Amino acid sequence: MYAQLLTFGAAFLGSAVESVEALTIVLAVGLTRGWRSPLYGAAVALALLAVLVLVFGQLIVTRVPELTLKLIIGTLIVLFGLRWLHKAILRSAGVIAMHDENKSYEDTVKELHGNLLRQDWVAFTISLKGVFLEGMEVVFIVVAVGGTSGSGGLPVAVAGGLLAMVVIAILGVVVRRPLAQVPENTLKYAVGVILASIGTFWAAEGMGATWPLDLVSVLGLAAIYFGASRVAVVMIRRRSAVMA
Amino acid sequence: MKFFRAAVTEVIGLFVGDWAQTAVSVGILGIGWFVLSRVHVNGIAFVIGIALAAQIVYATTFEARQRARHS
Repeated sequence: MYAQLLTFGAAFLGSAVESVEALTIVLAVGLTRGWRSPLYGAAVALALLAVLVLVFGQLIVTRVPELTLKLIIGTLIVLFGLRWLHKAILRSAGVIAMHDENKSYEDTVKELHGNLLRQDWVAFTISLKGVFLEGMEVVFIVVAVGGTSGSGGLPVAVAGGLLAMVVIAILGVVVRRPLAQVPENTLKYAVGVILASIGTFWAAEGMGATWPLDLVSVLGLAAIYFGASRVAVVMIRRRSAVMA
Repeated sequence: MKFFRAAVTEVIGLFVGDWAQTAVSVGILGIGWFVLSRVHVNGIAFVIGIALAAQIVYATTFEARQRARHS
């Protein structure tokens, strides 16, 4: 139960962050050039992503031995989580700018105005490319988290990812503008901590380690990563204050 | 072709931001594997988490210093 909640939560949060970014692109194209082509583009991208989840999900679950799977996927999840956490720390400390959905929206609109002649094809391609590339991270999170969390993990992860996409899509239809109010950095920060913790847990299990209290140890790892990230933010801010 | 290249770059970018930092992370996991295969103590794997956490503190503060120097 605890493992399935963790799987669902990680897939939901990771998917929500990327869905906001994909939605910004589709909204920019749809509101500028009409809805037909960008919606086709988004639909094709979603179909491609679904195929990737099915193919890789099934391959991973049925073909790879459990310990090998935990070691390889755990290592990849650690690298992926640390990358998100790294960016989130730098954003929290003010070293790099927060992700701005309004700016992404305006950039896409500008790009579209420069290509007025090839209207529908451009709208279709930009939407497809945006949704597909943003969705790759969702595919990885869903397959990795779902594939390694035992039997029944993949459907739970897929459900988490799909629910997040539906929620964000509904919000987008209601609001009809970029979801700039979604605390994207906070979400990425949380997912970074969760993924780095789960990844470390599984990678070590794949190496043959045992954890005290089994999956509850993930909370201990999350505390370590969160504590370290706060230390990093404080150190960077202090140094900036001294230099100012 | 452009789309395919963007997709490949995106996939690599999922795991690698800075190659040196990625190498350090993989190195920590490799050393951890070596130690775990010899020392069978429940919970010793937490050391891997602590080492990776220390690595991210170093990497982020280092990058912040570099950016401050160049701005």
